[in-house]
Amino acid sequence: MELYLYLALFSPLAGSLFAGLFGASPRTKIAGLVPSLLLFVSFVSSTILLVYILSGGAKVHVEMMTWMATGDLYIPFGFVVDQVSVTMMMVVSLVSTVVHFYSIGYMDHDKGFNRFFSYLSAFVFSMMILVMSDNFAGLFIGWEGVGLCSWLLIGFWYHKESATWAANEAFIMNRIADLGMLIGIFLIYWNTGSLQYDQAFAAMNGLDKEVLTWMGIFLFIGAMGKSAQFPLHTWLADAMEGPTPVSALIHAATMVTAGVYLVVRANPLYDLIPHVGLFIASLGAFVALFAASMALVNRDMKRIIAYSTLSQLGYMFVAAGLGAYWVALFHLMAHAFFKALLFLGAGNVMHAMHDELDPFKMGGLRKVMKGTFVMMTLASVALAGIYPFAGFFSKDLILEVGFVEHHYIIYTVLLFTAGLTAFYSFRLVALIFHGEERYKLFGIHPHEAYKFMLVAMSPLLLLAIIAGSFKMTYFEMVTAVLPATEYHVHSAITYWIMTIGTQLFVILAIAFAYKKYANNKVKVPDGTSKMENRLCYKVLSNQYYIPYIYEEYLAKPYKELSTLFWKQIDMKVVDATVDGIAGIIYSSGEKTRVMQSGNLSTMLKWMVAGTIGLLSLAVVFGLAARYSGEIKTILSGLGV
Amino acid sequence: MIDHILSILIFFPALAAMLGFIIHKDSIRAYGVAVATIEFALSLWLWFAFDSNASGMQFMEQLPLVPAFGINYILGVDGISLFIIILASFFTMIGIASLTDTKNEKNMIVTLLFLQMTMAGVFSALDAIVFYVFWELSLVPMLYIIGAWGGPLRIYASVKFFLYTFAGSLVMLVGMLFMAYLYYQATGAWSFSILEWYRLILPESFQLWLFVAFFIGFAIKVPMFPFHTWLPYAHGQAPTIGSVILAAILLKMGTYAFIRFSLPMFPDASVFFMFPIAVLAIIMVIYTAMVAYAQEDIKQVVAYSSVSHMGIIILGTFALNVEGISGSIFLMIGHGLVSGALFLLVGVIYDRRHTKMMSEFGGLAHVMPRYATIFGLMLMASVGLPLTVNFVGEFLSLLGFYKQSHILTLLAGTAIIVGAIYMLAAYKKMFFGTVTNEKNANLKDVNRRELLALIPLSIITIWLGIYPKPVLDPINNSVESIVQLMHDKSTTSEAKSRIPNLVKNVETAKTSEQGAH
Repeated sequence: MELYLYLALFSPLAGSLFAGLFGASPRTKIAGLVPSLLLFVSFVSSTILLVYILSGGAKVHVEMMTWMATGDLYIPFGFVVDQVSVTMMMVVSLVSTVVHFYSIGYMDHDKGFNRFFSYLSAFVFSMMILVMSDNFAGLFIGWEGVGLCSWLLIGFWYHKESATWAANEAFIMNRIADLGMLIGIFLIYWNTGSLQYDQAFAAMNGLDKEVLTWMGIFLFIGAMGKSAQFPLHTWLADAMEGPTPVSALIHAATMVTAGVYLVVRANPLYDLIPHVGLFIASLGAFVALFAASMALVNRDMKRIIAYSTLSQLGYMFVAAGLGAYWVALFHLMAHAFFKALLFLGAGNVMHAMHDELDPFKMGGLRKVMKGTFVMMTLASVALAGIYPFAGFFSKDLILEVGFVEHHYIIYTVLLFTAGLTAFYSFRLVALIFHGEERYKLFGIHPHEAYKFMLVAMSPLLLLAIIAGSFKMTYFEMVTAVLPATEYHVHSAITYWIMTIGTQLFVILAIAFAYKKYANNKVKVPDGTSKMENRLCYKVLSNQYYIPYIYEEYLAKPYKELSTLFWKQIDMKVVDATVDGIAGIIYSSGEKTRVMQSGNLSTMLKWMVAGTIGLLSLAVVFGLAARYSGEIKTILSGLGV
Repeated sequence: MIDHILSILIFFPALAAMLGFIIHKDSIRAYGVAVATIEFALSLWLWFAFDSNASGMQFMEQLPLVPAFGINYILGVDGISLFIIILASFFTMIGIASLTDTKNEKNMIVTLLFLQMTMAGVFSALDAIVFYVFWELSLVPMLYIIGAWGGPLRIYASVKFFLYTFAGSLVMLVGMLFMAYLYYQATGAWSFSILEWYRLILPESFQLWLFVAFFIGFAIKVPMFPFHTWLPYAHGQAPTIGSVILAAILLKMGTYAFIRFSLPMFPDASVFFMFPIAVLAIIMVIYTAMVAYAQEDIKQVVAYSSVSHMGIIILGTFALNVEGISGSIFLMIGHGLVSGALFLLVGVIYDRRHTKMMSEFGGLAHVMPRYATIFGLMLMASVGLPLTVNFVGEFLSLLGFYKQSHILTLLAGTAIIVGAIYMLAAYKKMFFGTVTNEKNANLKDVNRRELLALIPLSIITIWLGIYPKPVLDPINNSVESIVQLMHDKSTTSEAKSRIPNLVKNVETAKTSEQGAH
């Protein structure tokens, strides 16, 4: 099994290096094909490991070599395949294989084709390290590695100012959170004496509650950055500047779920500190609603899906925070499938529309893009959580968790958000695919994507439909390592009312979205309509003015303060003091050099002055010595 | 020959430099490269012959100089100094090999070889006077490099560099003399041997004063805030090769001296001054990172970033535990590699455009993709990405200091944020966007001579990031003995509790071993 572990882990790296070899040469198909096939190898290896684990095999644990060892610290490159990491490995390798094959078509005309595959495979490698490591330091390698690849890929079209800006923003925001993560790691090391998961978690039982709380908080700060939780969420929407396959893989299916994975992985810690868990859940519920609200009015196809991702991450954190780790992981998996599908569909639309992102400028595309239309609609149905699609099983479960655990406020917020989710998803579908063909006004001639791209997407479609049926198999597998709490509403009537009620509510929201946006009256908004001038619309479309506040009250003052530090303090205070001291020494030398000018009369003058000075000193000391007793009494009288 | 390897390492380049004066100027480059390569090979031999499991000094040499005052020519190397010596000869080698065409090439190469002598001397001297001599001598070649081959303000910069550091080292010299006097009072014999000084247990009040005297000399060299202002001038005016050696090796003399002198000689004072110094280190980290962000000149960005990173090294040193000190020594090597590489990279673009202002560039990734890639790699190493060399040192330094203070480590940890801010902003300005300046449209990518230096640096940066063990192990062994020495020597209870006792662990290990038998 170790062979498969290494294959799953290192094939993406081999693919990345292979594509990297062609980095400077003109694009060749082989630079895309080989990494994709290697990823397929990784996927197959992960599947073999999954089957092995499912058939009751013990977890696979290898230690490749020492990384850092000094003092009492010992960090190896160790990898573990257990029920949790194999789930993540499946998600990562499957979605990334699909995205790789899809990208061969999507990036067809881009001159950075080879470079793109090198970065994308490097990302998968980092993600694999992240999920397979058996210690916190190894996790941090992957954690920073995905951050780096995300930076490279968001800024992939580096000639665009907006892209590079977004890339830097994402990197820096993530770094802020990484500091929290790093502190969490330090706390774990100094309190448990180890960074290996099994040893550290075993030692946590005997620790002080306060220390554990801090550990939980700092690790969660790390998770907040990667998973773009409020207030570190702004980078995710801006990250949509990257190529769409990147958004599908990194900013929907895998990297952004790393935070959820961390909380799930650290479940022995969070079980000991339920109050931190409750905070995580509350923040998750807030983000779910907050992000969904911004998606309601946005006019950028990719940003709408990004906000939707943010909102779904909130759902996952609710589950993880309330201790339903397996539910969180299940939603993570299901979400990865349909959200990646949605993004890839959006990529097809973008290609067809010559990179136009405003759904109001589309309309009626279902006639020319049948395949994409079907896929995106089904993905949206899954996202909305309609029976029997994947989202129903995973999302409804989170609602039930909230209900069963008696957190009714969280439950209500999530229920309401479910309606919003359905509305904005179908607003998007309706605007893109239904109604009048508004794109004709802009002289665009859309076309369907390559057939093989659609074929590449089909595994995701299949999983978005049927993933829910794996629920029990999955449950039995992961509960070997995660707490096996089942969340059942005790009264059958309540259960049915809740389930059917939720379904009806969601269907109503969909119907409302269709009614409003699937007709021929939809016009390209020009800023004059009544709705656009409402305050709440403005607040939402400006993302609650949070990016503005960050820019005005954090980024700009930081820049100004930096300039002030340099020009005023470093130059005019610190350095000027040094130069001032040097200047004083220099000028005192300059002024006294007349003494040594060699002019006889000047020198005689100084000699006389010197003699008088010395004589008077002698007199003073002589007197002082004679009257020392008196001087002492006077001085003591003065209180010296 | 191996018994005298350290003397050979010191005096071979000096002799070769003398001979260099009579070499014809057309063949001086080949000569210089050959000498530097032999020197580097010798230092690798030193590493090969070095016993990684021993913690004490190796390859010791001793010759009496002034026996009446206990001044001896004592050399020796342990895990702490070994890798800095290797790094110094490595940088001299690639520095000469990749030297761009300069006027008076011959003088430059001779100067660099002399500089190599002083660097090897500083890091292998075990006698305070010998150490002091090499420490001061190292100023001369650098003064010459900045003053003769520098930019328009070169005289001001070189004199400032010289006088500032010289003034500091004079205070240090007074400290050394006083230390020798105290030794005389305690034992009845004069000695300047550092190892003998280690054995002297001083009362805390003496330690404090001596610590301050040494501190001033070292802090200016590092340079620590607020003594850092000579550095931007020196870097700004120095030619590329000068900046490379200055950042990679000469700055490390200060931090190395903290570990060689201050910690083992004054353990109580080290604990006493730990928090004030940590606060200074944090100011260095955050403040200079912000100043770096405000710069308009890419070389100044790298210069200020050096100061910022040195802050983390200081912090790791004053963690006073094995993790932190090992980390800080490793970071010295890491920062040497990365900042040296960054200065070389700045030199590449300066040679082409004769300007270092970032506003002159933009979109360079289009015209110089290989250059952009290597710069990107070094940028990521500079911000401390895992699997690059800097991460290991930074992580261990911060981890070590976390034991001493949570809040201060949290503040110092912002290094990973502020570092990313100025580096990414600089990279964006230079490499991203479209080529707007006509003059940049036809720049040539890095050539073979430049790659000669940059490729090995890139490989080592990643290699030591993935597999730091061969370097970290010897460092760890020597640091453990220093920490133990500090713990045993310390007199205050505060110091006893802050400096961990490692013997306990050894004893329990021994008993368990015996139990197994």
